[in-house]
Amino acid sequence: MRPYTFAQARSVREALRGAGSDTAFLAGGTTLVDLMKLEVMTPERVVDINRLPLDGITLDRKGLHIGALERMSDVAADPAVRENYPMVAQALELSASAQLRNMASIGGNLLQRTRCGYFRDVSTPCNKREPGSGCSALEGVNRGHAVLGTSDDCIASHPSDLAVPLVALSTVVHLASARGTRSVPLDTFYTLPGSTPDVENVLRPNELITGITVPRSPWAAHSLYVKVRDRQSYEFALTSAAVALEVRGRTITNARVAAGGVGTRPWRLTAVERALTGRPATSATFEAAVVRAADGAQPREHNAFKPALLRRTLVRALTELQESR
Amino acid sequence: MPRSPVGREIDRVDGRLKVTGAAEYSGDYRAPERAADLAHAHLVTSTIARGTITRIDTAAALASPGVLRVYAAPEPIERLALYGVTGQAAGFTEPYIPLQTAAVHFYGQAIAMVVAETPEQARDAAALVTATYAAEPPRTSIADEPHVPAGPTISGSPSSLNILAPGVESIDAALAASDVVVEAEFHQNVQHHVGMEPHAVLAVWEEPDRVTIYAGAQIPAAYALGMAQRLGLLPQNVRLITKYVGGGFGARVVLWSDTPLAAAAARELGRPVRLVLTREQMFTLTGHRSHLTQTVRLGASRRGVLNAVSHRSLAERPSTMSFTMTPAHSTSDALYSTPNLHVDAQLAVLDIPGSRAMRGPNEAPGSFALETAMDELAIATGVDPVALRLRNYATTSPSSGLPWSSKHLDECYRVGAERFGWSTRSATPRARVDGQWLYGTGMATAIYPAARRTGFAARVQLRNDDTAVVSTATSDLGTGATTMVAISGADALGIPLARVTPEIGDTYLPPGAPAVGSSGTHATVPLVVDAARNVIAELKRLAVTRDGSPWQGAAAEDLRYERGILHGGGRSMTFGRLLTAIGSRGVDMESSPGGDPIPGVIHHSFGAHFCEVRVNRFTGETRVTRFTTVADVGRVINAKAARSQLVGGVIFGIGHALLEENHLELRTGRLANSTLADYLVPVNADVPDIDVVMLDRPDPRLTGPLGDGSEDVGTGSLGARGLGEIGTVASAAAIGNAVYNATGIRVRDVPITPDKLIEHL
Repeated sequence: MRPYTFAQARSVREALRGAGSDTAFLAGGTTLVDLMKLEVMTPERVVDINRLPLDGITLDRKGLHIGALERMSDVAADPAVRENYPMVAQALELSASAQLRNMASIGGNLLQRTRCGYFRDVSTPCNKREPGSGCSALEGVNRGHAVLGTSDDCIASHPSDLAVPLVALSTVVHLASARGTRSVPLDTFYTLPGSTPDVENVLRPNELITGITVPRSPWAAHSLYVKVRDRQSYEFALTSAAVALEVRGRTITNARVAAGGVGTRPWRLTAVERALTGRPATSATFEAAVVRAADGAQPREHNAFKPALLRRTLVRALTELQESR
Repeated sequence: MPRSPVGREIDRVDGRLKVTGAAEYSGDYRAPERAADLAHAHLVTSTIARGTITRIDTAAALASPGVLRVYAAPEPIERLALYGVTGQAAGFTEPYIPLQTAAVHFYGQAIAMVVAETPEQARDAAALVTATYAAEPPRTSIADEPHVPAGPTISGSPSSLNILAPGVESIDAALAASDVVVEAEFHQNVQHHVGMEPHAVLAVWEEPDRVTIYAGAQIPAAYALGMAQRLGLLPQNVRLITKYVGGGFGARVVLWSDTPLAAAAARELGRPVRLVLTREQMFTLTGHRSHLTQTVRLGASRRGVLNAVSHRSLAERPSTMSFTMTPAHSTSDALYSTPNLHVDAQLAVLDIPGSRAMRGPNEAPGSFALETAMDELAIATGVDPVALRLRNYATTSPSSGLPWSSKHLDECYRVGAERFGWSTRSATPRARVDGQWLYGTGMATAIYPAARRTGFAARVQLRNDDTAVVSTATSDLGTGATTMVAISGADALGIPLARVTPEIGDTYLPPGAPAVGSSGTHATVPLVVDAARNVIAELKRLAVTRDGSPWQGAAAEDLRYERGILHGGGRSMTFGRLLTAIGSRGVDMESSPGGDPIPGVIHHSFGAHFCEVRVNRFTGETRVTRFTTVADVGRVINAKAARSQLVGGVIFGIGHALLEENHLELRTGRLANSTLADYLVPVNADVPDIDVVMLDRPDPRLTGPLGDGSEDVGTGSLGARGLGEIGTVASAAAIGNAVYNATGIRVRDVPITPDKLIEHL
């Protein structure tokens, strides 16, 4: 760990004062402190934002509002979340461990860094950590890496479970900076690596996530998150799927589908949604709808299984959701 | 009247200390008398696998706050005096001397060490050390590098055997003449011990030529001897304290580079030095199980009677420390009766971190191959897997022809099959579906050698307060060895367990048994029994010779010791009262030499695993849902600790079957999964309730007597065989066989992960 200055802020304004690219905001610390110990992140200033009034979980006609400093465990346990957005609660509960969920914040979860082993090992080249140094994962051990949204400079997968259902539900992220506030759809909040994998989102250096809003949609109550991994707990996804269906009679009238573990960002699958909509909620529909889910995938040596596993994960999630009606 | 604690459910005598955090592990010792002086070391490791260090820049580290010294390769020997190790200790010491040359032998080798006032200062300064190298392409492929015969197995038998029935020309001919032939190739990646406690050492020099080392060690005597030679000291001037150890599994058999470096720095600085490896460093600096390829060929009659068994393997020989991997040893050369047997082990020299025995070192991978192939033979012949094994049951070793000291494997099969409900199983794959899940069951046989190790000692002291102290420098890796020492002492003396104080883990105690090869208990118990016998004889001698004794002048043979009390001439006295009466605080005696193996028999422990898994029919995750293990391990000393050992062994098998692997990068020689996030071990959610049964049949021919064996005390050597590894052996095969039964898919490359199943599901 490198020396840094430490300050505690009591308001958003105070936190943002003097914040720049050398500043890191400390919430739960489950990513930041970890990466500082590995010297993957070496901020010169750390500003503790835990006293900021960025809490609250409320449901109104517009949707579900969650403060950026709400803890994962609290959001997962919230009755409004569980009843109206079950896949959000499920994604949280399948994340990390109970201890980490008690600490980690919602804002921090959306900003957590990739689990790519080369990103986390400072002795190996990594364009995300050290732009221009090269990507070790391309020819290295890349079983956990992304197949969608990759570039020649980075194939790191996005690690968040929570972001997958949030992207499916068109969640909006609220940001604050000294210049004011703005709101950005989560789907466009995340950027593709391209030739600048060190840039992961549109957040500016002096900007904070203050909260999120998940739009109200009655059929989000009929949703499911499925996470596939080698180990039953405490592991990141090989693949995951967030699915929500509105079914009237036998016909799917609305579908939301997103995938995790496969993309360089949480991956909304609008083509799958379109292929489901207007069709009967049957296995045949599900199988047909996912055929092209991984179109454009760029598999590498160890993750060639991911397109097939993604399709299977989606069918499993859709089947399980439909059977639970 | 105290009931013997042997075989009962006994809590660990140090359990409370451990769960309350009061037990001091190696990294916890504070060297209280010199705490203000304590300095902290941190290692810097290489980022190439083969070549030479051309330059190390230590300036920034030296200028970092709190830094006392930076040692960087090649370090002049005057500063960091370390020497070669020869003779007996050499086999348990890493062969290269750290930091003395610029040569790099593997990725992750120690190339520099920073010592600072605090652990954080040492760590942060270590990150500022940079090295430049003249790198050479590393040798990383066992397939492509030249192969050499493995050499003798761990027990000294040849690693290559070719036993043929009269008139049979070759193993290939025997296979060709068989009705049914199964041939299968198996692969597994590098695996690691990952004990919970990181490797940690504290070195405290009392004199310029005398040091006390606090470190976790499985063979305390060899570790201390290796340290003495490394440091250029007389053997008696190194004292090793290894009282609490957080997991060995083979990783603490060897004196690696960390302990010598810390001790040498402590000597040069004149301060105690503590060095704790990071979890990442443990993956390259403390050994691993070699990755390997195995080929098993079985030839049998249509009824499944074996005619030929061939088992070949190819594994690593790291250029530094190497464990000689011979997976057929005690598996294919011991398990089934066959007239034609061929085993062969080859190794390839690689530039990879040192390898070491890991729990069931040969037997876990070897049995995965053999017992999977046996399942394939069961399918090919249509014979039930349990019936197939009984049909090929060996009553003498297929390689040596010798009978076993005791073998109740057939009972393991019978009891296990009944408890598990094996008879309700469908032999047809994919016969049982429940929703998304395909259910299947499988079984496999476990076998592990129980070779008696000799040359160790225990001491029993009787004290005048009617308590006893039992001392032997063995090591408790978390197994319950300390409790075992107390139990055997209480049993041999016939006194309550609470009145026995066990002392272990200190090389100033009588040389104890190594905690390796599932042998700690069966090597230690006879020593304690014999020392108890000797101290009782000494007590009688004192009783008839000393002033103050009511028996002074009587004949020792007229005295009888029973349950802590001497009887004779119509009088009785506890040993404590007698000692008080003669003005003695205590009397102690060591065990006698002897206890050599009984000739003409071989020793193994046995077991049978039965397992149920479910596999998701969409996404291919395998989850273990039921597990029954029945073990024939001789007498059980502590039922609670023994069950924990077997359960832990099965959990190791779950890791082997489903989770554990470290990928070696062929281009760089880097082990890519060297963190606990990337190297998966089972978590609680992966482990079902594991049903363990121990037959508890004492082995009547386990060990020869110590001393003259004239007077038996307690229950003799108890007939306890080892059980630390038997749970690990073949449990992975039982899981793989269950996966086949569930899915019809045979996965021969462990771990069995979803990607290997989905394309066939």
